[in-house]
Amino acid sequence: MFIEGILAFTLASALLVFGSPDRYAGKLATGLSLVPLVGSVLMWLDFSSGGNALLADGNVAFQNTVDWFTFTFDSFELTLQWNVGVDGVSLPLLVLTTVLTTLALVSSWTPIDARQSQFYGLMLLMEMALIGVFTTLDFLLWFVFWEAVLIPMYFLIAIWGGPRRKYAAIKFLLYTNLASLIMFIGMFSLIFGLGDAISTLSFTEIAGALRAGELGSFAGMEAETLRLFAFVLLFVGFAVKVPLVPFHTWLPDAHVQAPTPVSVMLAGVLLKMGTYALLRFNFTMLPDVARENAEIIAAIGVLSVIYGALLALAQRDLKRIVAYSSISSMGYVILGLVAFTPHGMGGATFQMVSHGLISGLMFMVVGVIYNATHTRMVGDMSGLADRMPWTVGIFVAGSFGYMGLPLMSGFAAEVLIFIGSFQSTVIGNAPLFTAGAMFGIVIVAGYLLWAMQRTLFGEFSVETDYEVGTAPVHDIAPMFVLLGLIIVLGIQPDIIYEAIQNAVNPLNDPLTLAVDFFTGGELQ
Amino acid sequence: MVDVFNFVEAIALVPLASFVLVLLLGDRMPKKGAISGIAATGFSLAISLWVVLDLAMGGEVYHEELFTFVAGDDVGVELMFGLLIDPLAALMLTIVSLIAFLVHLFSLGYMNDEGEIGLRRYYASLSLFTFSMLAFVYSNNLLMAFMFFELVGLCSFLLIGFWFRDDGPPSAAKKAFLVTRFGDYFFLVGVVAVLGTFGTAAFAGEHSFIIEATHVLDPSHSGEMNTFFGLGEQAWITVIALLVLGGVVGKSAQFPLHTWLPDAMEGPTPVSALIHAATMVAAGVYLVMRMYGFYALSPTALSIIALIGGFTAFFAATMALVKQELKQVLAYSTVSQYGYMMLALGGGGYVGAVFHLTTHAIFKALLFLGAGAVIIAMHHNENMWDMGGLKSRMPVTYWTFLFGSLALAGIFPFAGFWSKDEVLLETLQHGLSGEPILLVGYGFGAAAVVLTALYTFRMVFLTFHGDPRTETAEDPEPIGWNMKFPLVVLGVLSAVAGVINLGAIKEFIGEDALFLKKWLEGKTLDGELGSLSAKEYHHILESDYAAGYEVTEISPLGPGALALVLALIGLGGAVALYRGSEPTPHMTKLGRVRTLLMNNYYLDEFQVWLATGLTAPLARAANKFDQSGIDGVVNGTGSVSMFTGQRFRKIQTGIVTNYAALLTMGLVLLLLVFALMGGWF
Amino acid sequence: MTVPLELYLVLSASVFCAGLFGILVRQSALHFLMAVELMLNAANINLVAFSLEHGNLTGQVFALFGLALAAAEVAIGIGIILVLNRNFDNIDVTDAVTMRW
Repeated sequence: MFIEGILAFTLASALLVFGSPDRYAGKLATGLSLVPLVGSVLMWLDFSSGGNALLADGNVAFQNTVDWFTFTFDSFELTLQWNVGVDGVSLPLLVLTTVLTTLALVSSWTPIDARQSQFYGLMLLMEMALIGVFTTLDFLLWFVFWEAVLIPMYFLIAIWGGPRRKYAAIKFLLYTNLASLIMFIGMFSLIFGLGDAISTLSFTEIAGALRAGELGSFAGMEAETLRLFAFVLLFVGFAVKVPLVPFHTWLPDAHVQAPTPVSVMLAGVLLKMGTYALLRFNFTMLPDVARENAEIIAAIGVLSVIYGALLALAQRDLKRIVAYSSISSMGYVILGLVAFTPHGMGGATFQMVSHGLISGLMFMVVGVIYNATHTRMVGDMSGLADRMPWTVGIFVAGSFGYMGLPLMSGFAAEVLIFIGSFQSTVIGNAPLFTAGAMFGIVIVAGYLLWAMQRTLFGEFSVETDYEVGTAPVHDIAPMFVLLGLIIVLGIQPDIIYEAIQNAVNPLNDPLTLAVDFFTGGELQ
Repeated sequence: MVDVFNFVEAIALVPLASFVLVLLLGDRMPKKGAISGIAATGFSLAISLWVVLDLAMGGEVYHEELFTFVAGDDVGVELMFGLLIDPLAALMLTIVSLIAFLVHLFSLGYMNDEGEIGLRRYYASLSLFTFSMLAFVYSNNLLMAFMFFELVGLCSFLLIGFWFRDDGPPSAAKKAFLVTRFGDYFFLVGVVAVLGTFGTAAFAGEHSFIIEATHVLDPSHSGEMNTFFGLGEQAWITVIALLVLGGVVGKSAQFPLHTWLPDAMEGPTPVSALIHAATMVAAGVYLVMRMYGFYALSPTALSIIALIGGFTAFFAATMALVKQELKQVLAYSTVSQYGYMMLALGGGGYVGAVFHLTTHAIFKALLFLGAGAVIIAMHHNENMWDMGGLKSRMPVTYWTFLFGSLALAGIFPFAGFWSKDEVLLETLQHGLSGEPILLVGYGFGAAAVVLTALYTFRMVFLTFHGDPRTETAEDPEPIGWNMKFPLVVLGVLSAVAGVINLGAIKEFIGEDALFLKKWLEGKTLDGELGSLSAKEYHHILESDYAAGYEVTEISPLGPGALALVLALIGLGGAVALYRGSEPTPHMTKLGRVRTLLMNNYYLDEFQVWLATGLTAPLARAANKFDQSGIDGVVNGTGSVSMFTGQRFRKIQTGIVTNYAALLTMGLVLLLLVFALMGGWF
Repeated sequence: MTVPLELYLVLSASVFCAGLFGILVRQSALHFLMAVELMLNAANINLVAFSLEHGNLTGQVFALFGLALAAAEVAIGIGIILVLNRNFDNIDVTDAVTMRW
C-alpha cells in the first residue's frame, strides 16, 4: 500500500496547493513534495533487489493487485486490475522523479512570478502521474498515467512559457499524443493477438505470454507479422517520447519555450518515460524482434548520438544546446538497450538516471543565468565568471559531467554502455557501432567548451540592461544537491547499478552469460 | 618497522583532502591555501620516497584491489580500482610529488607575492591535479588509468584558463582539452576494446590483459581472447595498441596532436612547469611504459611509435628555433623531448625512455621555473629580444637556468646527456639489426640533437647574455627565496641526476652501476608480477612471436661521443650566432622558411579549419536540414491539416437554411444510395 | 371501412415536404417554427398510422411524446425568436450567422 499512499498524498498535495494563496504556494508545494521524496527513499532503503518485475521469476517489491472489473469480448475475458509494484529498473527512476521534482520546485521560486498556486499544483499533479507511470504494472492503468503526464505539461508550457509557448505546447501535445495513439494500437493488436492466452492486462502476464510464443493471429496478420507490426508501432510511439532522430523536433521547441523548472522535469524525467517504456515493452516483451533488427535499432541510436550532437554544435541558444545534447545522450541509451549484454542494458538504465540528473542540472544553471541576464544567446554575454562565480563553477562542473568526465555519473553510464555494446553478440559488427557512437564524446566536448568559453570567460559584458549579480541561495542549493548526487553516483555507481543489473540481467542474452570467460578477469 | 604500504593510498588521497579543504575554506587559509598544498605534496613526497626506499631494500611490490567501481553482478565485466606500486610507479610517484612540491613553493613567489586574485581556485586546482596525477600513476588497470588521465585533463583546462578574464587563456584551455579529448576518444575505444577482448583491464597479476595477450601469442602458453572483424590475434592486438596510442599522442603532445601544448603556455608558469612539462604530458608516455609488455607484442605498433617519436623530436625542434617568447621555445622543446621518449619506447629502449622521462622532468621543470623567475623579473614580458644581460642581475636564476640548458642540450656530464644518449643508443642497437624504420627514427633524433643545442643556447644567450635591450631588463624585479629554493634544488639535480644510469660508460663502471636499469628489472619482481620487469620486456621484445627485435652489440662509447659532438656543434652554432653584447636576429635570414616555422607549419590553422571550416558548416547544414527538412515535415503535416480545415470551414456559413439544405441533400443522397444498392430501380 | 395505410403515408409525406419546403425557402423565424411543427406532426401522423395498422400502442405513446416535445420546442423557439427580434430588430434567421453576438 506504500505506493498508493505516495500517489494519493501527491494528488492531495496538488489539490491543496491549487487552493492555496499564491504567496505561499511555492514553499508549500516544496514542503509537501518532501513526503513522496522521503517515501521513495524509504522504499529504496527497504528494497532488496530480486529480478525483473516482468518476468515470471521476478520478485516485485511493494506489489499490490486488486481486481477492478471484468469485461468480455466475444471469445475471451479480460480483468482490469489495479496493479502496482517496483523492481530494480523502476525504483531508481521513481527516486529520480521525486528528487528532481522537489529540486525543480525550489528552482521555480525565482522565475515563476504569476499564478503560482496553479503552477505548483500542476507540477505536483505531473509528479503524481510520473510516479504512476513508473510504478504501475497493468497496461490500461499505466496508459492512463502515461497520458495524464501530458495534461499538466501542456498547461505548464502554454501558460508559463516563452514567447512562442502556444506553438510549442500544441506541438508537444499533438506530437506525443499521436505517438501514444500509435503505441496504443500496437499494444492492443498484441493483446487481441494473444486472445485467450492472457486474462489480465498485467505486464507480467503479457510479457510471459509473448515470450512463451503464445501470440496468435489478428486482423489477418500471422503471429510473425503481427509481432513485427506491433514492435514497429510501439517503437515509433516511444521513439517520439525519447526522442530519437527523426522524431525529435518537438523537443527543442518545447524546451526553449518552457520555463526552467519545466525543462528540468521534461529532460530529467519525461524523456526517461520513453526509454523506460522501450525497455519494458519492446526489449522485454518482444526481445526476438529487437534481436532480429538489432543493427537497425543500433543505427538509429548512433544516428541520434551523432546527429543530435551536430545539431547542438550549430545552436546559439544555451537552452537549445542542452536540449539537443539530450537527444544525443538518449541515443546512447538505445545503443545500450539493444546490445542485450549485462553492461549494455544496465548501463542504459543507469544512463537514464544519470542523464536525468545531469540534464536537470544543466537546465537549472542555464535558468539561473537567464534569471540574471535575461538572455540565453551565446553571443550576448561573456565573462560571467566574473560576476557569478558559483553559478559558473556549477556550469563548468555540469558541462564536464555532460562530457563524461570520470568520477561523475555520466562517465560511468557511458563507459558501461560502451563496454556492453562492444561485447554485444546481437548487433553485427558491434565494435563499429560502438566506436561510431563514442565519437559523440568528442563533439559534445566541442560545443560545450565553445559555449563555456564564449559565455563564461573573457571580459565581462552583457547585451541586456540588467544588473548581473550572484544568484540567491535557493537557486544555487538545488544545483549543489544535483552535483553532489552526480559525483556520488560517479564514484560509486553500484549504489543503484547493482539493483539495475539484478533487474535487467535476466533479459540478456544467455549466450553472453554462458561465456564465463568474462568473469575470469578479477584479480585474487 | 611500520609497513609503508599501509598508507600508500594516502599519497594521492592527501592532496585530494587538500583540494576539498582549499575549495571550501581557501579564502580564509594562510596564503590562500598554498600552505595546505605544500603540506599535502610534501607528505606525498615523503611517503613516495619511503616507498622507493622500501623497494630498494628489497620490499615487495604492492598490488591490491581496493575498491569496487562496478561489481558486474557476476555476469558483466567487473570494474575495480586498485593500486600497483612497482619500481616504475614508485619512481614516477616520486618525480610527480617532488615537482608538485617545488611548484607549490614556487607559486608562493609567482602568484601570492604578485597579488594575484583567485588563488583559492588556483591552489584547489593544483591540489586536484596532484591527486589525479598520482592516482593515475599508481592505477592498476587501464580503465582507472583512463579515468585519472581525463581528470588531469580537466585540471589542465582549469589551470590554463586561470586568467579567464583575458581572451587568450580560455581559448587555449578549450583547445588543450579538445585536442587531447580527440586523442582520448581513441584511448577510450581502446579501453573498451581491451575489456571486450580480454574481460579485464588489469595491468598486472595472473589475469592481466598484458599477460593474457602474451600467452595468446606465445606458442608455449595458452591464453584466450576475442578478436573482431575476423582479424588475427596479433593484428587485433596491434589495433588495440594503436587505439590506446591515440590518447598517448594527444596527452604527450606528439605529432599531429601537439598543437595544444604551445598554446597551453597561456597558463601561469608554475603550472606550465608542473603540468605541461614535467608530469601531465608525461602521462601519455608513462602509459606506454605501464603497458609496455603489450606494446612489445606488436612490431607494427612499435614502429609507429618510434616513427612518431623521432619525427616529433625533429619537427618540434625546428619550430623552437625561431620562437621569440621564452615559454614558446620551452614548449616546443618539451614536445621534442617527449618525442625522444616515444622514439626510445618504439625502439625497444624501455630503460632509456624511463631515464629520459626522469631527467627531463627535472631539467624541464627547472627551465620553466627559471623562465617563470625571468618573467616575474621582466613584468610578464616574455619576448627574449626584450631581455639580455640578466646574467649579472639575477645570478641564481642564471646559473640554475644554465644547468638546465646544458642538461637539455645534452652536454656531458649533465643529466640530459646520459639519458638522451641512452635513448639514441638503444634505438640504434635495435635499428641496426634490420629495422630500417628505427634507423629513420634514429636519424631524426640525431638531427634533433643539433637543433636542440642550438635553440637552447640561442635562448640562453638572448635572455641572459649581452647588454640589456629594454629598461625592464636593466632593472629587473628581484625574486624571493621561495622561487630561488626550487631552482637550486632542481639545478643540482639536473647536474647530477645522470648518475642513476651512466650507460655511456658502462664499460668502465660495470653493469652493476646502472642503478636505474637494475631498479626497473626489480629484484622482487617475480611470479605473476614478473611481467612488469624490464628484463621480461626485453625478453618479449626479442621473442619471435612478438616484436622480434634483435640487438647489435656496439660499444656505447661511439654513439655517446657522436651525440656529444652533435650537441657541441649546435652549441657552437649558438655561440657563433648570438654571442656578443648586441646579438642580431639571424633567424630572419631564413625568410619564408622562418614564416613557415613561426606559423607552426600551419598545422594550427589546419586544425582550426577542421573545427570551423569543416565541422561547423556540417553542423549548420545539419541544422538547416533539421529545421526545414525534418521539422518541415512535422510542421507541414500541421499546415496541411490547418489548410484543409480552413477550406472545409467554408461550408459552415452559419445560415440555418444552408444547414437545412445540406441535411436534406444528405438525406436524399442516402436514400438514393440505399435505393441503388437495394435495387429498387 | 378503413382508410388504407398508404393514404396516411401520402398525407404524412406531403405534410413533411411542406414543412421542409418552408425551412428551405423562408427567412422569417416564425415561418421556420411553423415549418418545423409541420414536420414533427408529419412524423406523428406516421407513428399513429403504423400504430393503428399494427394494433400496437407504442406508436401512439411516442406520438404523445412528440406532441409534448413540440410544445416544449415551441416555447424555446418563441424565446429564441424574441431574443432575435431584440438583437436584430427583425426575425430573419439568415442574419444570425455566428454562435455568439
